[in-house]
Amino acid sequence: MPGLLEGVKVLDLTHYIAGPYCTKLLSGLGADVVKVERLGTGDGVRWLGPFASGGGKIPPGPPFLKGGNAPEDGAWFLYLNTAKQSLALDLKSHAGRKIMLELATKADILVENFVPGGMDSLGLSYAELSQVNPALVVTSISNFGQTGPYRDWKASELNLYALGGLMNITGEPEQEPLKEGMPLAQLGAGQNAFAATMAALMYSEETGEGQQVDLAIAEYATNILENALMQYSYSGQEYSRVGNRGYGRAAWGIYPCADGHVGIIAGPDHRWPEVARIMGREELSDPRFTSRAGRLEHADEVDAYMLPFLIDNNKVDIFKAGQESGLGFSFVATMKDILEMEQLLDRDYFVQLDHPVAGTLTYPGAPITPEDSVEAWVFRRAPLLGEHTASALNSWLGYSEAQVLELVQKGVIAQNEGA
Amino acid sequence: MQKPAERMPLKNYRVLDLSRIWAGPYCTKLFADMGAEIIKMESLSVYDSHRGPVSPARGIAAYPDGEPGEEPWNRNGWFNCLHMSKYGVTLELTEAEGRMVFEQLVSISDVLIENFRQGSLERLGYTYEELRKHRPDLIYVSMPAFGNTGPWKGYLGYGIGQEQLSGMAHMTGYRGDGPMKSGINHGDPITGSHAAGVLMAALRHRRLTGKGMYIDVSQQESAVALMGPEVLAYQMTGEEPERRGNRSGWYAPANSYPCAGEDRWVTIAATNEEQWQKLTQAMSAAGLANDPHFATAEQRRENHDELDRIISEWTISQEAYAVTHLLQAAGVPAGPVLRGPDLLADAHYKDRGTFVTVDHPQVGPKQYPGIPWRMSATPGRVRWPSPTLGQHNRDVYGELLGLTGPEIDLLEKTGTIGTKPTGSRII
Repeated sequence: MPGLLEGVKVLDLTHYIAGPYCTKLLSGLGADVVKVERLGTGDGVRWLGPFASGGGKIPPGPPFLKGGNAPEDGAWFLYLNTAKQSLALDLKSHAGRKIMLELATKADILVENFVPGGMDSLGLSYAELSQVNPALVVTSISNFGQTGPYRDWKASELNLYALGGLMNITGEPEQEPLKEGMPLAQLGAGQNAFAATMAALMYSEETGEGQQVDLAIAEYATNILENALMQYSYSGQEYSRVGNRGYGRAAWGIYPCADGHVGIIAGPDHRWPEVARIMGREELSDPRFTSRAGRLEHADEVDAYMLPFLIDNNKVDIFKAGQESGLGFSFVATMKDILEMEQLLDRDYFVQLDHPVAGTLTYPGAPITPEDSVEAWVFRRAPLLGEHTASALNSWLGYSEAQVLELVQKGVIAQNEGA
Repeated sequence: MQKPAERMPLKNYRVLDLSRIWAGPYCTKLFADMGAEIIKMESLSVYDSHRGPVSPARGIAAYPDGEPGEEPWNRNGWFNCLHMSKYGVTLELTEAEGRMVFEQLVSISDVLIENFRQGSLERLGYTYEELRKHRPDLIYVSMPAFGNTGPWKGYLGYGIGQEQLSGMAHMTGYRGDGPMKSGINHGDPITGSHAAGVLMAALRHRRLTGKGMYIDVSQQESAVALMGPEVLAYQMTGEEPERRGNRSGWYAPANSYPCAGEDRWVTIAATNEEQWQKLTQAMSAAGLANDPHFATAEQRRENHDELDRIISEWTISQEAYAVTHLLQAAGVPAGPVLRGPDLLADAHYKDRGTFVTVDHPQVGPKQYPGIPWRMSATPGRVRWPSPTLGQHNRDVYGELLGLTGPEIDLLEKTGTIGTKPTGSRII
């Protein structure tokens, strides 16, 4: 079976990160995802490097790269758009809008992440879309949502992580707050948009009633603050930055080791003797350190006793020494470590995808694996810009070759000649 | 135990939820937000450790005003923000009576979800095959740290560890410094959210085919899935990702800048030439715009230190919100670093109802994060506070399973169910 969501039709008007991750999960599960891209330039994320053909240097982003065709081999585009089809279309033209409304009548789901009001100005407001297809699920992902005083604010990941409350609690207390290296607010919001879209699809299929989902990236961040928000809500005490130590914990966090960094988790208390034994320091068995509160009180001393062992040993060895003793140790994996990780290789996690421009690369596979007898996920490389213009218009709307050619000549759509 | 009166997408589905801590509970929180009937099952001897210790010290801020009270396990904000609109029951699976009740619950549930250490349920005799004897079309979500196969399957993992083992921590940190953990444990909600969407796809598949399925979740694989672009980038360049602090690898300037007040910061990002020009105008620093040092993004990245110094001088005497409003009015991405009190008082979040006030019987009214998205036809709502330990034993075992009063009394007498913990192991 080609994917759990076989037969579900998704009209994908997303670009950059959050929206495309949502529709990547849908296309990965086998939905028929047609990604509508701007003529010529395509999804802006196509312009973000590095590129398979571009060597080691990361070129600047889209507004700085003038001219030329949209790149096909950027790491971000290639990963975020697997198993999708690309339809290059001029959304701003009258004929383009007409095609969009025709496609919307056939779609089960439409996902977009234009700025709020962007769809309205294209004549594709929710009211207009639901008029042609009352069962349609329209998922709108935006920085701050479709309503509220910050609706029209501009934001990058940095600003979203800050406004969402996650940045204040990340980093060293005496230094500036820190964002994550990966855009986890946008990617996480894309994940939640996938769950929200699935819920709306279930409802639509059971009742015939579609609806609009309004998902704000900043609100995703506020939703996962957990105790960082709750302790203020409950007791008025602010959560703070604690660097690499767990909040209110000691011997619990990231430490340097011989070949990198490891994660030490000292707990539960009855396991502490195991930690002391692994570190080979009798001093760690001191009753002052046997409880979580005691270790916290003497955190620096505990660290000083652990460091000699850690500095002398390699990350994977420390990780395994902990795990074999029932302790949830970890290590800071590099990209190289990830690609070579025995657990991931044993589980056939990675997939190799060949791409006409980017060549063969190893991609992280399914985030979650339903049972083997069901082929839940499909794996196909990301599309070239306009690669599926003709085939999508044919399979969704029955357009003939001649109709497609006429629209190409009018400049409403474009086809990738190399495809 | 009535289905929600209002229209909600998942109101026809029942989830037997043995998950604890955060990854599994975030999945079932999203299900509860969408109207599903969640039966959260805990053991009196090993309850969900997010409830905190049986006898915590006073003054821990997770309790209302730092006061654990007589039943601290019911008063912990950490737990209480994740289980709203769920039913709470207790059951000892090690007792014969408990097993009978459990099997009855399985027989009336659409989904069973757990994130125990790998193999825990199996050791109690409950393989997927065995569970299916009680519910042939059951969907079973098993969510151990590293999945149910492979050399590491028995290993333990927490959200903090998944940030490291997925590579997230590797590329997070101050420039020139070591890797850094986040302030939360991103691994947990990442897994919970992935699982929620895939589980809905499985329920839909069951509706179409009548078949349940076994869903093997590796929390690690779920986290690595978000690292895909960097995994590809490494193969293209042969270079590991750089730790950039708050800067961007693409555009400049982008950073956090100090503002007036103690530990107050504003973030500013000029993601293109237009925004860079507007930033210089808003700063009344037209000279900057014409400075050849800063003419292109590449030059601004190279001279970022100097640029940061100039911008910091401009921000340091101003309020973070004031800088933000000024720059946003000019069309420049900016935002204050919000702290707990700021979030709850923020005009935008108030306007959107991002945080909701929920009255908990042992805590009183407090603010919580609500449903993380809005839906036009099925808005839904937080329906009730997180359950106290065993709060819904009588509703679930009586109303749902049809046990009689004396039968439930007997379960209580034998310690198979109850509302008072008999122990708790806290990591």
